Amino acid sequence: MIDVLIIGGGIAGLETACSLQDLGYETVIVEKEKTIGGHLNDWDTLFPTHRPASEVLEHYTEETRKRALTIYLNTYVISVKKQADGLFEVQTSRDVVFHCKSVVLASGYQLFNAERKEEYGYKIYDNVLTSADLEKRLKNLQGEFTTPTGVSPKRIAFIHCVGSRDEKSGNHYCSKLCCVTAVKQAIHMKQICPQADVFCCYMDLRMYGPGFEEMYREAQEKYHVQFIRGRLSEVAENANGSLQLKVEDTLAARPSRLQVDMLVLMVGMETAKSTELFAQSCGLECASNRFVKTKDHHIGSNQTNVDGIFTAGASIGPLSVFDTVNHAKSAAFAVNDYLKAMK
Amino acid sequence: MDYVAELEKDVRFQEAMHSCLNCGICSAICPAAEFYNYDPRMIVTTVHRRNNDEIEQLLRSNTIWYCGQCMSCKTRCPRGNAAGMVIQALRLLSQKCGFFTESEKGRQQYGLKKTIGESILKYGYCVHPILVKPELHPEQGVIWEWVIQNRDAVYDRLGANLYKEGAGAMRKIHQKNLDELDEIFKVTGGHDFYNVIEEESKKKAQEMNMSTDENNNEYLLHVLTYNSNEHQD
Repeated sequence: MIDVLIIGGGIAGLETACSLQDLGYETVIVEKEKTIGGHLNDWDTLFPTHRPASEVLEHYTEETRKRALTIYLNTYVISVKKQADGLFEVQTSRDVVFHCKSVVLASGYQLFNAERKEEYGYKIYDNVLTSADLEKRLKNLQGEFTTPTGVSPKRIAFIHCVGSRDEKSGNHYCSKLCCVTAVKQAIHMKQICPQADVFCCYMDLRMYGPGFEEMYREAQEKYHVQFIRGRLSEVAENANGSLQLKVEDTLAARPSRLQVDMLVLMVGMETAKSTELFAQSCGLECASNRFVKTKDHHIGSNQTNVDGIFTAGASIGPLSVFDTVNHAKSAAFAVNDYLKAMK
Repeated sequence: MDYVAELEKDVRFQEAMHSCLNCGICSAICPAAEFYNYDPRMIVTTVHRRNNDEIEQLLRSNTIWYCGQCMSCKTRCPRGNAAGMVIQALRLLSQKCGFFTESEKGRQQYGLKKTIGESILKYGYCVHPILVKPELHPEQGVIWEWVIQNRDAVYDRLGANLYKEGAGAMRKIHQKNLDELDEIFKVTGGHDFYNVIEEESKKKAQEMNMSTDENNNEYLLHVLTYNSNEHQD
């Protein structure tokens, strides 16, 4: 009998698994992708330190290897059934049925599909990227940075709140990490293209974590990133492939047009499709933002409405790496309490 | 008068005025904001403060008359507001209170009532060539003058049936239908609304020493053709 089955092999799942293994429980991770690490695989550097994401990934790869964790890759969960005896039967795509005492949902998030904001021109105009595209571009960068049309950019704009705080996208909530990611990426662009003017079009800057506000200040003072308070209304392409943005500088109360060579859309976080399906299959309650609803916002953020099913990481809402690792550690303690009471 | 309470009775206000996050997306998309010294976001913020004096100022100003009612703002607002609809509610209140005559753009309401407003009741068309008088519409240019002088020939040639019995474009609308329109205006308060526009405008015309006689309507000509050129930066 497995003690804990963990759904998702990103950092939330890995951290929970390592902690639970250390507490003496038998854990199994199922991961739908062919590799562990989740979204971290796609990221170049992390805020606010600008360290390579690969460092964190390497840490977890090493910890996983040391503990010889059982991980089923290319495996996704089809259904979770809680039986009369309180144990769980988990059906997966592998024709393996797992029986376990508890389940940790660490299935994370997915990024907002920027094509849904058609007026921003993603996949219509070549020089419109998402924040995730830019990370990949930076990660694989060799030589000089150029825009997708091969231009060395003179003007770059970052657009905050794409698919967040937006009734039109069906996402009322704030994804909270896009602001700080934009500031990090803006600094990065100034470092590799010092000649470029970099703009951030924001509504409110949510620099909530340690080191975030300092990074914002550095972006302004050291790198001269320009912050324009206003939401982009639409984008048009010029004949030469550069872009024309319509945005109001609300602090100056002046509608304006901004010409840029490259536009970066800061896409928000949504609940993962797989999380939604999983929640439906086992009667997990979701909040109005479609992320999994925790049992108690303040003192039970790892518990759900189903006893024995726990959450770790961004399945409960947008979380940073910092938040995720902490939430995953506390998930291990919550599971430990539950299993101890079971004996 | 409690303008806030009046606005809150308007269904368009109820539907289109939630909270505003001041992101400026409405002003960025607004074609009028590109042209005039105008910012729809500022109107929404002002109304949002629910300050009676500030709202009265708005009702007496040119500002609420710059909007072209294209409703682009409604397509973009992340909070589901529609500045254009809030403006509709403000305009109606300005008309009811007679404040519209205090601004150059507001005074044009008289022109609209006299042209489109009366045309619909008299001919059954909002815009009817017979009523688009060249002197009221200098923007139509000399060609329009020529079209009006040769009206029947031009419209015959275009295949229209201008103001004649029977089928076809621009045909005469049956009296029975015009009577029905008239009845609708009676029941819904359309006539009363027209009367307010007429009366308030006549007061203003007197103040401005202009005649509103049927044959020599100086005030009508003035509101439709005068431009102080003070609407842009």
